[in-house]
Amino acid sequence: MNESQLLLTIVAAIGLGTPLIFATIGEIITERSGILNLGVQGMMLIGAVTGFWATFQTGNLILGVVIAMVCASALSAVHAFTSVTLRVNQIVSGLALALFGSGLASFLGRAGSNPLVGNPSRAQFEPLLEGGIADWPVVGPLIFGHDLLVYLSWIVAGAASYYLFRTKMGLSLRAVGEDPASAEAAGVHVSRVRYIHVLIGGALAGLGGAYFSLALTPTWQDDPIGAAGWIAIALVILASWRPWRAVFAAYLFGAAERVQFTLQTLGEPWSDIPSTILAMLPFLLAIIAMIVLTSGKRARFLGAPEALGIPYHREQR
Amino acid sequence: MTRRFIVEPRGLASLKLRILVPVLSVLAALVVSGIFLLITGENPIAVYGQMIDAAFGSRRGISETLISSTPLILTGVAAALAFKMLVWNIGGEGQFIMGAIFASGVAIWLGPSAPAALALPAVILAGGLGGAVWASVAALPRVYLGTNEIITTLMLNFIALNFMNFLIFGSSSPWRDPEVATFPSGRPVPDNARLPEFFNRLDVGIFIAIALAIGAWYLVGKTRWGFAVRVVGDSPTTAEYAGITVPKKILAVFLLSGAFAGLAGALFVSGPVGALDPRSLDLGLGFTGIIVAALAGLNLIAVIPVAVLMGALNNAGPSLQSIGVPAATVTMLQGAILIFAVAGEFFIRHRIRRPEAEPEADAIGEAATA
Repeated sequence: MNESQLLLTIVAAIGLGTPLIFATIGEIITERSGILNLGVQGMMLIGAVTGFWATFQTGNLILGVVIAMVCASALSAVHAFTSVTLRVNQIVSGLALALFGSGLASFLGRAGSNPLVGNPSRAQFEPLLEGGIADWPVVGPLIFGHDLLVYLSWIVAGAASYYLFRTKMGLSLRAVGEDPASAEAAGVHVSRVRYIHVLIGGALAGLGGAYFSLALTPTWQDDPIGAAGWIAIALVILASWRPWRAVFAAYLFGAAERVQFTLQTLGEPWSDIPSTILAMLPFLLAIIAMIVLTSGKRARFLGAPEALGIPYHREQR
Repeated sequence: MTRRFIVEPRGLASLKLRILVPVLSVLAALVVSGIFLLITGENPIAVYGQMIDAAFGSRRGISETLISSTPLILTGVAAALAFKMLVWNIGGEGQFIMGAIFASGVAIWLGPSAPAALALPAVILAGGLGGAVWASVAALPRVYLGTNEIITTLMLNFIALNFMNFLIFGSSSPWRDPEVATFPSGRPVPDNARLPEFFNRLDVGIFIAIALAIGAWYLVGKTRWGFAVRVVGDSPTTAEYAGITVPKKILAVFLLSGAFAGLAGALFVSGPVGALDPRSLDLGLGFTGIIVAALAGLNLIAVIPVAVLMGALNNAGPSLQSIGVPAATVTMLQGAILIFAVAGEFFIRHRIRRPEAEPEADAIGEAATA
């Protein structure tokens, strides 16, 4: 592999990793409150379809992103209600959200007399800078050649990290995820904190979904995000619930997805490896990471919130 | 402060309630999906009418509905078995596919000359084995290393799917039909390994699936082993005090769950599909099994009628396209059903009542002792 191909792969990995960053950091924020939301795939798809629709109607990209975040957040409210208020099983509720969101997104993309499916987006996120410093060797394409949302993903990572570890609200959030009873005794409103952070997680998942339909593949199709929502759930663990690590984990997975295209360019024997085998790579990587990182007591050591997935009963303290 | 409602845990819910909650879940899901149909300019009544007609309106419709239900009975049992024991096997999809790969592989390896009395049982058992083997990839780390199985089983779904695609689209494996050069497809399962049909395309697989579901119910509900497993599901700590080897039981349930999903794959390739055909197997039947299990309240007998309902929906989906409505209506509806079914769990587990004219402290004390 020569230098320019390596560079192309990294730049592509940044693009493919960006939606994963949003979704993974969203899920990190949700899980830090002690709520496990397996519905990321559904929320991302709702973000993808509603964001595409809004931009398709108005030509306005920013409006598309906002609508995507609002709608995905609204879907996550369903999970907040079942897991915080009704305190039912979070695993099944999250899966329900994933299935409903996928079905609804596919339905909305095909419904009506003028369905979205097959239509290109009226606008799409383009690289902010072209020529000039974006053409500088190496650092140009790595740092300056991206679209607005790539930079936003870096800002989101910095902001989430600051929020979690440097603010009083972040401290309350982590306390709720670790030990809700003590947090409540210290005056934190556990249910409210959980609701808010499930909704934030939903909004970020929606933003990740919109990145697919408004930047990566700006044409509406039935299955626009692949398995990104499921991978994001695995990335949370790989990132050990820390936003900055999510950025690098997401790029690693972006690169794993990109590998099949890179190998095509390398010629034989690399180009002979079937794409179906290479498509397994991200999932294999996730399983190996799971087994190596989270076996036994290591999950706690990594930083898994102690109360993750456990409903909190105030009366039964 | 006096409360307007008191929520308290209830003991065993009545049979009436345990039937009422899933029925209301389905109705609520019909209403929610109906709203989305209305928004997009469709008449929900007409759409639902079309679905009922496609699923039950003709002899052919009924037989196709039962064909769609057969794998769902088994993936439903697979999910219910695991979830009962707090084993979060979300990998029914991959285990289903692996069962189909093993089953069709054995059928092709035995060839057309093997007697059906040998080929059929071998193919079905191979499917169960395939599902169990695939489950073991997540089950062994869970039991011996403590690895969370939710994500490993999820990821294994995608690996299995890509592996099936590799066998058909990415290689000239024995599973691929060498006769068809234009578009890669699965090599047909020889007739001796096909399940006999008796009502249109409906084959005896439905009876095998029902018998296996009843067998699972008997195993868990009526045997000593099943009792030990249920104790583990209720409380692993109690089970340990009672001298039950908890890891062994969890492993067994996990593998059994995988085997059931694999059996579904076997019945599908030796039944209606007749080949390892990715387009006919990648339908989300493993995931739908989770909906079946949840709506059935994890009851292994209730899984059977619920699977027929979900099979009816799956069968009705494609027919909607003829009236210009997306087939994804069915996925949306099934997802909504699962949301309401899981929310309904709350009403099965809790009782809501108005407080009597007594101080709040007493009411809470009462709730705590109830």
